[in-house]
Amino acid sequence: MATSMRGLTQYISDLRACRVRELEEKRVNREMAHIRQKFKDGQLDGYQKKKYLAKVVFTYILGYKVDVGHMEAVNLISSSKYSEKQIGYLALTLLMHENSDLVRLVINSFRKDLEDHNEINNCLALHAIATLGGKEMAESLAEAVYRAMISATSTTFVKKKAALTLLRLYRKHPTVIPISEWAERIVRMMDDHDPGVVMTVVTVITTMAQADLEAFSGCYQKAVNRLDKIVFDGDYPPEYVYYKVPNPWLQIKLLRLLQYYPPPDNPEVIDMINGILQAIIDSSQETPRNVQHNNAQNSVLFEAINLAIHIDPESTVVQNASILLGRFIMAKETNVRYLGLDAMAHLAATSSSLQAVKKHQNVIIQGLKDRDISVRRRALDLLYSMCDTSNSKVIVGELVRYLQVADYNLREEMVLKIAILTERFATEYEWYVDTILQLISAAGDHVGAEVWYRVVQLVTNNEDVQLYAAAAVYRHLQATTCHENMIRVGGYILGEFGHLIANEEGCSPIEQFQALHSKVNLCTAPTRALLLTTYIKWVNLFPEIKEHLINIFERYTHVLDAELQQRACEYLALSRREDGDELLATMCDEMPVFPERESALVSRLHSKGEKSQDKRTWVIGHKDDNKGREVERFKNFRKGTGDSATIMASASSAIAASREAVPTPPEPSVPQRSMSQNVDTMMGTTTTGPAEDIMSSLAELDLSGSTVQDEPLLPNGPSADLAQLQTPAAPILMSNPAPHINGNGLVHTATLGGVNPTLVAPLTVGENIEKWHERLSYYNEGVLYENAQIQIGVKAEYHGHLGRLALFFGNKVDTPFNSFFASIDNPISSALSVAFHDAPVHEIAGKAQIQEMIHIECKDYFGGEMSTPVLRLSWLVGDEEPKMLVLKLPVFLTKFVESVELESGPFFERWKIIGGPPREAQLIFPIKLLSTGAVDISRNNRIVAGNRLSVLPNIDPKPENIVFAGVLHMSSTGKVGILGRVEPNREAKLCRLTVRSTNEDVSAEILRLTSKPLNLDSAASL
Amino acid sequence: MIKFILVQNRQGKTRLSKWYHPYDDDEKVRLRGEVHRLIAPRDQKYQSNFVEFRNDKIVYRRYAGLFFCVCVDSNDNELAYLEAIHLFVEVLDAFFQNVCELDLVFSFYKVYAILDEVFLAGEIEETSKQVVLDRLDYLEKLE
Repeated sequence: MATSMRGLTQYISDLRACRVRELEEKRVNREMAHIRQKFKDGQLDGYQKKKYLAKVVFTYILGYKVDVGHMEAVNLISSSKYSEKQIGYLALTLLMHENSDLVRLVINSFRKDLEDHNEINNCLALHAIATLGGKEMAESLAEAVYRAMISATSTTFVKKKAALTLLRLYRKHPTVIPISEWAERIVRMMDDHDPGVVMTVVTVITTMAQADLEAFSGCYQKAVNRLDKIVFDGDYPPEYVYYKVPNPWLQIKLLRLLQYYPPPDNPEVIDMINGILQAIIDSSQETPRNVQHNNAQNSVLFEAINLAIHIDPESTVVQNASILLGRFIMAKETNVRYLGLDAMAHLAATSSSLQAVKKHQNVIIQGLKDRDISVRRRALDLLYSMCDTSNSKVIVGELVRYLQVADYNLREEMVLKIAILTERFATEYEWYVDTILQLISAAGDHVGAEVWYRVVQLVTNNEDVQLYAAAAVYRHLQATTCHENMIRVGGYILGEFGHLIANEEGCSPIEQFQALHSKVNLCTAPTRALLLTTYIKWVNLFPEIKEHLINIFERYTHVLDAELQQRACEYLALSRREDGDELLATMCDEMPVFPERESALVSRLHSKGEKSQDKRTWVIGHKDDNKGREVERFKNFRKGTGDSATIMASASSAIAASREAVPTPPEPSVPQRSMSQNVDTMMGTTTTGPAEDIMSSLAELDLSGSTVQDEPLLPNGPSADLAQLQTPAAPILMSNPAPHINGNGLVHTATLGGVNPTLVAPLTVGENIEKWHERLSYYNEGVLYENAQIQIGVKAEYHGHLGRLALFFGNKVDTPFNSFFASIDNPISSALSVAFHDAPVHEIAGKAQIQEMIHIECKDYFGGEMSTPVLRLSWLVGDEEPKMLVLKLPVFLTKFVESVELESGPFFERWKIIGGPPREAQLIFPIKLLSTGAVDISRNNRIVAGNRLSVLPNIDPKPENIVFAGVLHMSSTGKVGILGRVEPNREAKLCRLTVRSTNEDVSAEILRLTSKPLNLDSAASL
Repeated sequence: MIKFILVQNRQGKTRLSKWYHPYDDDEKVRLRGEVHRLIAPRDQKYQSNFVEFRNDKIVYRRYAGLFFCVCVDSNDNELAYLEAIHLFVEVLDAFFQNVCELDLVFSFYKVYAILDEVFLAGEIEETSKQVVLDRLDYLEKLE
């Protein structure tokens, strides 16, 4: 290693002697100028280069920007002397980062050292790659690193370092590492005699296996055996004992690895693991000699407890452990209290009975008052996980009380958690309303918008609570100061339900008005806008205070804020219409029930802390939260039993080979019966076997960028619904003629008085309607309907299970369309939600065009000729008879398909696995040839691609045949992979279309939709 | 995995920093400051050695006037990293024969080499003090 360099020592001493920063800077500048000159003059020997470079590095470490030395560092790593090379490499790793352009210059030097016969050079190169490795290095060096790792001639140091370097490259650029090919070889390295090598290999496997549990499945038994040897046989070299604990880090790694796999099926393996875990728990009873011993012992113990909980939260081992945990959370040592609470939260989050945890409720509540914020957080997490209907009042009460004094950076999370618990475990509406209102008034700015949106949604949807809520919020508004969120909730609820309490003493309309309006001066513009809407609703509900309200509107017609002004003007005009006007009553009708959606609060909470490199083995929360995650994590992982084994063997000979290598060990098998059922229903089939695996892995192929979070094409969740209503983006009329679906599936449609005849009219027929409709099944834009008077155009955009449809209504005549009315009739509301973005307009001027936006979400499979949402339109032109149109909306199951790229190998593998009927659907039909007598390949391609299926080239040698694949996205049912081929026969003028997917209904519907425009008999557009 | 390792003195001067995540220079400065402000005021006796930091957590331990901090995933085993810190400190102590802050300053290039023998690519590489020390001895003899 580089021996001391006098010049460097002198330089460091000089800098340390500088009393003030200016002097230090001066000294640094002088030195850097000197070094720059020296480097420029050249002719430096290795020692000088090394010395100067070390000075540069030190200067950089001190925090100065340095602009010399990069090239010298590049030169120095080619030196033959270790001490010089080491400084060169150090300078490189410090001065560069993985995205530097200079990295390209050194890749070849790295490779040379990596492939050198001198293991010291191998190690230096590996250090550098492990620090700087990025995408480019992963591409050019991963192979060499892998070879260094597995080579029999590599020293243990090279093996260890290469393993971790490979892990780095994998994390940076997973796609360049063929892990399934290398998996078997990597797993075999777990048998290495050197414990250091084993630990690094286990580290690598733990991360890689998360992406492909199956490929690494051989590691499970090896990990169990290795633990068994350490714990029972004392099989470890003495130098790996750390304060009397045998290799704690390796034990922890192994215990952690097992948590990434589903619990084994084989009772023998479970017994073996439980024996190990019990032994670890027993040995921890030994009184530790010092801090290190104690920590090392506990580090293994807590990991063991986590594995025990993962294997079976109801087991005896866990029962024994939970007694220990009860002691830990009262321990004197803060670290132990922290870890005890953390492990208990794991138990509460996965166990079906909270009994063991509930015993300690009081101690845990005390944890909220711990001196350490880290412990307070763990207590909060645990209270959140252990809450149920029996203790919700106590726990929520404590949390609300603690909120007032809680750390600022903890409050927002606390508010979310309190809001979720209150909603989830409320047994009485009154308690829910009281608690949430108390929360809003106590936490103020820490209350996220989701929280108050959710209150409004729940109150609107539950008639029983409306009266109580109105009274309660009115009480809160009596306070001299109110947080703005309270004013918003108050404005909304009183606007909707104020009339329910208007007859009570002290709640008269004018008093309600004064209570709200006295606060308006402190409010921001969006809140004021909301209050204006409250007032227009009151104009309808409380005619006695109409004058006051009109007065306010008048005043607001002069404000500068455009949104407020527009609202005021519109509301003023509306409220000035003569009495008994139906328009006002209709528009100010009570809000329809909101569609039931998952609470946005939970997703918000879970979005926190999801960025860690390794997947979490569990999350804070309840059993159901974790169950779903487990299904997600393990869904690609099945162990071969029965017929699936043969398919697996043919699918992957590598895996088969690994099985043969370890013939006897009882392998962990299908996770749990209940779980596999879950997967089946998720896939929408009743058959079992590996097909789902393959198809779900197919479904995963295009996960990138298709999730809602990545690209919020559509706002999601109740908060978004409300946001649309409450944000000042568009002028708002509360009564929304678009149908809203309540929990019972009934369709509520607010109409302009009486039953609108369009609501019962049959589908409009016309010669081109079917053709237009059909064309829209494979085009995203086009005409939906056109006649002499009106033209309706469509533009659609789909992304995963979400879609957005813009309808353009064009008035082709000079006379305006009056009483224009549009609604959607959705017979398949359980599978598809369809709603207007906002209330459709009521008038279209002559020769004008308006646009209406429709949001669509595919929740479940839908199909067949008749299960399609219908658009109902009516309007008046002058004195003519009312016009009416009833059209099918161009929403097809194929619109929710995302394309996916497959090579021929994987395609046929999946094709075979799905097999024939019933999951295969096939149709032979006549086709129309081109005038030249050839098959119209380009139209066929267009139709398949237009159905959002990707046409896969180079799979079928015949040019006229088309092979396609796609993944159907449904928000509640999940994804279904689709494969298919089109085989036209020119001579016979026939075509065979075959569709295979894991769901027979889906296959049939995809076949119907894609074949329709191709089929000469059924196509309307041919 | 480890995002970064920082060794800072009580005044917040950083004596060693190793980054396993590609932060840019400004971000590194920010992180050093934030970590120091988070860790330094914490009570040694009544507070744990773990504290949440952004979406991760910091496991730290104080030795005389130096704070050894590692930033790890929120999922990681706290005590394993706490003892890994101790292992690293014991290696330094044995190598420098009673290590002190000045050793880290004057022999910074050796400290980096030692670090690379204990931690690599954000993971723990070797857990036997003896194996590490033998290796360092061997490297020390090379020219």
